[in-house]
Amino acid sequence: MHSTTRITKWSTAFAAGALALGLAACSGGTTPAGDDGAGDGGAEGPITIGFVAVGPEGAWRAANEQNVQDTFTAEAGFDLKYAPATNLDQKSQIDAFTSFVDEGVDVILLSATEGSGWEASLKRAQEAEIPVILVDRGIEPDDPSLYVTRLAPDNVEVATAVGQWASDTFPDGAKYFTLEGPTGVGVVNERNEGFDSVIGKRSDFVKVGAQTANWSTEEAKSVIETVLKANNNDIQYIFAQNDEMGLGAVQAIEEAGLVPGVDVKVSTIDGTKNAMQALADGKLSFVAEYNPLFGDTLLEVVNTVLAGGSVDSQIIVPSTTFDSPEAAKAALPDRKY
Amino acid sequence: MNRVKGLVKKPPFWGFVAILLLLAINLAKDPRYLAITVSPVTGNLVGNVIDILRVVAPILLIAFGMCLVIATGGIDLSVGSVMAVSGAVAMQYLHDHGAPDSVGDALAAIGLALGVALLVGLVNAVLVAVVGLQPFITTLVMMLAGRGLAKVVTQGQNTNAVNDPMRWIANGYVLGIPVVFLLALVLIVVVAVLIRRSALGLLIESLGVDPKAARLAGVDRRALLFSAYLLSALLAGIAGLFATGSVMTVDVSQTGYQAELDAILAVVVGGTSLAGGRFSLGGAVVGAFLIATLDKTIVFLGVPASATPAFKAVVIVVLCLLQSQRVRGWIGQAGARMRAARKAVA
Repeated sequence: MHSTTRITKWSTAFAAGALALGLAACSGGTTPAGDDGAGDGGAEGPITIGFVAVGPEGAWRAANEQNVQDTFTAEAGFDLKYAPATNLDQKSQIDAFTSFVDEGVDVILLSATEGSGWEASLKRAQEAEIPVILVDRGIEPDDPSLYVTRLAPDNVEVATAVGQWASDTFPDGAKYFTLEGPTGVGVVNERNEGFDSVIGKRSDFVKVGAQTANWSTEEAKSVIETVLKANNNDIQYIFAQNDEMGLGAVQAIEEAGLVPGVDVKVSTIDGTKNAMQALADGKLSFVAEYNPLFGDTLLEVVNTVLAGGSVDSQIIVPSTTFDSPEAAKAALPDRKY
Repeated sequence: MNRVKGLVKKPPFWGFVAILLLLAINLAKDPRYLAITVSPVTGNLVGNVIDILRVVAPILLIAFGMCLVIATGGIDLSVGSVMAVSGAVAMQYLHDHGAPDSVGDALAAIGLALGVALLVGLVNAVLVAVVGLQPFITTLVMMLAGRGLAKVVTQGQNTNAVNDPMRWIANGYVLGIPVVFLLALVLIVVVAVLIRRSALGLLIESLGVDPKAARLAGVDRRALLFSAYLLSALLAGIAGLFATGSVMTVDVSQTGYQAELDAILAVVVGGTSLAGGRFSLGGAVVGAFLIATLDKTIVFLGVPASATPAFKAVVIVVLCLLQSQRVRGWIGQAGARMRAARKAVA
């Protein structure tokens, strides 16, 4: 008995140690040290940019972060330090953010995995006079005094377009189900808000339910499989908040013996290549693009900010929508993500 | 009566009760919940029970592996990451080389994926059995490294692939029963027979109860640890193929994410102590079914996404309380007191 308690104690201590080491290694690896004071004026050498990124999450994120990395190259006079989160963990992002501040980079780009809990970190950056630009993901509560600007396609606007399409496609209303991203993420709330701003006014639209599938194809398939059974296949429309989940829903619909696009229509947001292909094949019915390729605009903003100019606290990147197989086929050859 | 009392004391009993209770709740919501029909389009059996059988397959496999590792006094936190690695290897291979209907390519992908999974298991085994590191630390490191490896394999993408044989394994049916469930059933029966019909189970228990005494008794510690960790990784590798095969897409940050927790939960709900020693494979099966039923119930009832974790937690806490002898004692005492009070009034 005595020895077991000791072993437990040891293993707890070891675990804590290993975690600390692991985290230290992570943040250390992504922000190589020995960068001597590029933040102090930065007259000589390249402009250092710390990019606190989300990391592998899906095709959209990959395209977005690749685009940012391709924009701020060494040839263009930048030294971009890319720090993706480990498994979408906010703690690892805050660690990376803090070490960028300590290092004194010139600008920090932030794509937060979670909206809340950034106040302390952002204040630290402000005290160190390092401008922070939010890339895509916003923070909650949204306090524009904590950052310079947020550059993103507007989730509310994109989701409103989806709602508008659904409203036009089902003039007599429909029973629908919403596949959400992880609970509490800002994107989810914004996409719900935009969609509800149109559909909420339509009393003939019946919301059967909403469930998170964590942006994942596999989980979405499992959720829709059960939801269809729980409702006797009596669902006409599924609003998937990203492409991956929409594609999972399509598979579940097919396996239930229904025809996607005819019996149940699925709309998605993002506009990745896989989704465009599915739209071209008639499996998805509507894809609203959430444009990830805004490196050029971001570059302009960074240059303006570094030159001491002022920018709007919210810059909306334009996005388009695709509502037919033909539109998808036309767009497919140029899809970069 | 005595037999019933004995049954009540066995932890898997309460897991079983919980499953029945969940099914009853679903039935109350929809009387046709348990109905199994034949789909007019595909000709397969369709029903919520069939869905549960498909969902339970990967959980069964990882819970079984976890149960053996825990019995040796260790723990394997890397199973979820092994699922991701194995799925990533298979999908990337099929994406790059696979023909859409080639059985050979599917088998090659499966072989390659399981090979990589075993490699992770081998690292775990060597570090635990030969180097003598704590299993917690070793597998924690492999949990982080494994997911990293999966990301390297797919270059951070969520790779998808087209291969009909592979899709059939994960989604197909034989005699109306999902292939994944049949495969999982065969695997766990083979493992269970191997362990319970030979002295292997006893040796593993002895290792978990008191490693020193086991060594003095001549138990080959290394060989046992190697087989436990390798088996756990192999089963997790197969679970990863099931999970990714169902949608033919690997999601490097989500496939098998927190699956190790599901596995540990299944094992503990089944009545195996985390301290090692005596273990219950049947209990792990009940635990796995409970988790699958719980997950499906949440969606079927339409529990709001924000309340899902709380709902899950409540079910599990209540279950653990019922399993605790002390709490059952309290309930028994309260009952006796009430009876006594009623008698006094009468």
